[in-house]
Amino acid sequence: MKGCMFNIDNGYLEGLCRGFKTGILTQNDYLNLVQCETLEDLKLHLAGTDYGNFLANEPSPIAVSTLDEKLREKVVHEFQHMRNCAVEPLSTFLDYITYSYMIDNIVLLITGSLHQRPLQELLPKCHPLGSFEQMEAIHIATTPAELYNAVLVDTPLAPFFQDCISEADLDEMNTELIRNTLYKAYLESFYDFCKELGGETADVMCEILAFEADRRALIITINSFDTELSKEDRARLFPRCGKLHPDGLAALARADDYEQVRSVAEYYAEYQVLFANAGQNTEEKTLEDRFFEYEVKLNVHAFLRQFHFGVFYSYLKLKEQECRNVVWIAECVAQRHRAKIDNYIPIL
Amino acid sequence: MSLFQSEEMTLCQLFLQSEAAYHCVSELGELGLAQFRDLNPDVNAFQRKFVNEVRRCDEMERKLRYLEKEIKKDGIPMLDLGENPDAPLPREMIDLEATFEKLENELREVNQNAEALKKNYLDLTELRHILRKTQVFFDEREGDDGQSQAPAEIRTIQEATFSAPIAPGMNAPPQLGFVAGVILRERLPAFERLLWRTCRGLVYLRQAEIETPLEDPSSGDQVYKSVFVIFFQGDQLKTRVKKICEGFRATLYPCPETPAERREMSIGVMTRIEDLNTVLSQTQDHRHRVLVSAAKQIKNWFIKARKIKAIYHTLNLFNLDVTEKCLISECWIPVADIENIQMAMRRGTERTGSTVPPILNRMQTTQDPPTYHRLNKFTRGFQNLVDAYGIASYREVNPAPYTIITFPFLFAIMFGDAGHALLMLLFGAWMVIKESSLLKMKSKNEIWNIFFGGRYIILLMGIFSFYTGLIYNDVFSKSINIFGSYWYVNRTQAYLQEPDVKEVMLDPKTSFYDYPYPVGLDPVWQVATNKIAYLNGYKMKISIIHGVVHMIFGVVLSLWNHVYFRRPINIFCEFIPQLIFMLFLFLYLCILVFHKWIYYGARMVEGRYNEHCAPSILITFINMVLFKGADKTEPPCNNYMFTGQEILQKFLVLAALLCVPWMLFIKPFILRSQHNKKMLLEGKVHQTGGDDLESGETNGIATEDTNASTAPVPATNGGQTAAPSSAGGGAHGGGHGHGEEEFEFSEIFIHQAIHTIEYVLGSVSHTASYLRLWALSLAHAQLSEVLWSMVLRIGLAQKAWWGGILLWAIFGAWAVLTVSILVLMEGLSAFLHTLRLHWVEFQSKFYTGQGYQFTPFSFKDMLAAADGLDAAD
Repeated sequence: MKGCMFNIDNGYLEGLCRGFKTGILTQNDYLNLVQCETLEDLKLHLAGTDYGNFLANEPSPIAVSTLDEKLREKVVHEFQHMRNCAVEPLSTFLDYITYSYMIDNIVLLITGSLHQRPLQELLPKCHPLGSFEQMEAIHIATTPAELYNAVLVDTPLAPFFQDCISEADLDEMNTELIRNTLYKAYLESFYDFCKELGGETADVMCEILAFEADRRALIITINSFDTELSKEDRARLFPRCGKLHPDGLAALARADDYEQVRSVAEYYAEYQVLFANAGQNTEEKTLEDRFFEYEVKLNVHAFLRQFHFGVFYSYLKLKEQECRNVVWIAECVAQRHRAKIDNYIPIL
Repeated sequence: MSLFQSEEMTLCQLFLQSEAAYHCVSELGELGLAQFRDLNPDVNAFQRKFVNEVRRCDEMERKLRYLEKEIKKDGIPMLDLGENPDAPLPREMIDLEATFEKLENELREVNQNAEALKKNYLDLTELRHILRKTQVFFDEREGDDGQSQAPAEIRTIQEATFSAPIAPGMNAPPQLGFVAGVILRERLPAFERLLWRTCRGLVYLRQAEIETPLEDPSSGDQVYKSVFVIFFQGDQLKTRVKKICEGFRATLYPCPETPAERREMSIGVMTRIEDLNTVLSQTQDHRHRVLVSAAKQIKNWFIKARKIKAIYHTLNLFNLDVTEKCLISECWIPVADIENIQMAMRRGTERTGSTVPPILNRMQTTQDPPTYHRLNKFTRGFQNLVDAYGIASYREVNPAPYTIITFPFLFAIMFGDAGHALLMLLFGAWMVIKESSLLKMKSKNEIWNIFFGGRYIILLMGIFSFYTGLIYNDVFSKSINIFGSYWYVNRTQAYLQEPDVKEVMLDPKTSFYDYPYPVGLDPVWQVATNKIAYLNGYKMKISIIHGVVHMIFGVVLSLWNHVYFRRPINIFCEFIPQLIFMLFLFLYLCILVFHKWIYYGARMVEGRYNEHCAPSILITFINMVLFKGADKTEPPCNNYMFTGQEILQKFLVLAALLCVPWMLFIKPFILRSQHNKKMLLEGKVHQTGGDDLESGETNGIATEDTNASTAPVPATNGGQTAAPSSAGGGAHGGGHGHGEEEFEFSEIFIHQAIHTIEYVLGSVSHTASYLRLWALSLAHAQLSEVLWSMVLRIGLAQKAWWGGILLWAIFGAWAVLTVSILVLMEGLSAFLHTLRLHWVEFQSKFYTGQGYQFTPFSFKDMLAAADGLDAAD
């Protein structure tokens, strides 16, 4: 019955999404990509995968940036196709996914204009999924309040922004604060939305979003050591929808160094593994990579269940990871720096 | 005769000299008779030998696609002479590359220039519009405050907003500034809102739409834009406004403040626009010239580039030998074409001027060769029907040649209406006659291509249906009375004119000439009330007769397979009982039908063959199978149709039933005893029987299969055909344990049981399945009759003068319905049923269809596929 009702509106898109997912590069593809000598080889091999001739009309030699752009273009194209076909509540769900890109874009533009970069240089760097009409006018704002009143009030991000309205000047520190506050509000709102949807979607998405929230909390804490960020401020940036909430977050707020963070994570089975032997030295995988790996695992698991919206989120995230992987390999190939070429995150 | 059986294939090894390889492959590509195997399947695409060349070809193709895109953009027709240039020499490739490079660069340069010019032109047009539109704003103001010649806007915002008349001299703070610009129309509302919000309402915006769309220089799209003027006060606001404009990609233009300057400027702009126009048109001319010259050749270039690419792709499949002097390749080729291939390779070597001849070695292999039927445009359509079910196993009997006749014929039995058939025939004939010109159109319409691909099938279906239509005497559901009915009414005129006489019964004894209508059905049946009952009996019987003949033919074809693959065991344990089962039960049924037709009649002298005594064949058949005696009848009728019928029937049924265990048991046991014998032999050789269990695992069924696959190999060698079939299996076998054998035997037995049950039950259900011939034919006839009586008759029945007009309209409706429902839909339905009868009822008797298609390396196919891809883009 559930499947029947689900399929009325979303069956086609779920099928489409699962179809797209089968096009994700396999371990075999990666093994082949890693062997590439030049970007031309890479192009040739990608032509044999689901990417097809997406680079066929690019004059040789191709640059890594072109590759990146084209990879992203393909994902965005697929996502937008699904967004255009979606109906409520899936459309809202898909919109929610794009909000995170909007936040990134806003922060990128603000930081860019703080450093006096021209707009034309910044715009191509923005993620196309997060572009909105007023985006380009962001640099007129000098304070968060102005930013809110002038630019963001019309965008869907407005409700998330309410916590960071202040008259303080936009500087680097503030921008980071804005990013994290926005993200926190966004994650919590997304979490609530998924909860409200209920059913499988809630099961799958809450798991993923909880991890996302915890990851942010952990990373914020680790990055905040030796900065001017006060502990109270830091505590306010933690998204409160993860598994760390409330005890873990409280402990994190008190943490003073990396060891303490690790000891907080010890209490949680999922994160303990990630912290365990995540060395700071270069030989082993960094904590960030471990987080990515865990995220990939969660996203792949989302495909094991049916009749929920999580597949769309997971697909996008997996595809993003894939783009990062391909670009990483391409960079390594282009710079003839093969030692670290295997440091991509396999998508199993 | 590769239509009856697929072509004999052989695996060959080619040794090609490195220099000559390119030309040889090129010649083979023109010939299109060799299917190359990938000899390095483990090597990545980018690690192969000729990957650089392939890449260069990709690059050439990219340039050509760019050229093509530009040519299409300008709408220049591309010349397609259907030429087939040879693959160019490798050294010509460099020239080609250079040509394309030059063209591309030239074109890119021209495009860049054109874009810059267009950008310029756009700026100027926008400026012109600004000047024109703002003039209106300024004029309004001047109209408002009379003689005020003061520059720019001297109004407070409020005054402006409400356009209240301003008292002269009240032209308050003179530092009020303005900017003018152009913005995309859809961005205007957001722009306005943001302006208002960030400047706290302290700016005033006027806007006017530019009616004509402007061309966006980079994309070439037509976009709509609006002119705006923003009035504000103070420098801070000015920077802010400018920032917002930048954010919304509005282009700002300097706009002088005094009307005189504006006028001057607009005159200047006009002259510059004119200048630009001439330059632009020259640029366009140049571009056009370049493209026109390219358009003449582009198809040829495409073909050349693709051919080179295909050759290098093929060379990538080859192995390099140790000395790197020659390339080794393996390919499947038809045995009959070895000469041709050797000739082609010799030509290839001659072109390079090399003296070392290429070597062609035939190889022995256990792999299944591909299936290759040599087809022409007529047989291809029918072969496709068969291939859609499954590609024939190598050298298996191909049903396609028989399908050529049986397919349209079975179709025609269902589609029997001469009128509808004539439409179909004309359509098919038109496609066949106009074939060459239609082929040249290269239509991309999928539905049309399906019809066109099956043009010969349609033509034959039309012809056959026309024939059956004549036999059924059905033309648009009406009969035609050519020879005059052979029935007559032997009643007086007076009797017939009595008001209560609605119908007359015609007794064949008194109102029939006693010899039949020369062709087909007597037209008198068209008006008979028992027409349907009569036709049903007739059509049902011919359906069964055709079905049984069709199936028996299928069974007989299986004999050919058994003989060819030398499987005597299958002949004795499968073919013969199958045939007996079919003949004794179902052919006997058909014979009864003929017997009834011939012997029973109204004017038969002998009493027992009187029309009242004619038995029901169906009941007779059921009684026969159930061993019941015939139903009792009154004298002079006889219970039986002929003397000895009862005995004969019992014998037939018993014999047929005996065939079931025959099919079921004998073959598995024979296989087992053969196997045991072999095991004994092997056991003597090996002493220990358990060492290679694995090879023994597949042995039971494989015995037959290896015989099948090894049989053709000695056949290709000519003399050795007499090799005993057991040798093949014996060489393969190995010893194995006792438990394994029991298990294996049950496999074979179950396999055989499934086959037997399938055949026995199948022959009953398949015979019944042929009744669809009658059912569809009935449905078709009834539908067309309904259409006639419910639609066209209304028009024909009108007596008033406007009946003509009505008829004209109704005929239209009738014609449309006839074509769409009766010809198209019914035709499709009959087609599908015919297809089913062939795939299931006919082919299941002999056809395995487990082969794979021979796909030779051929430039022709490659180019066609590339064209198809183009269409999909």
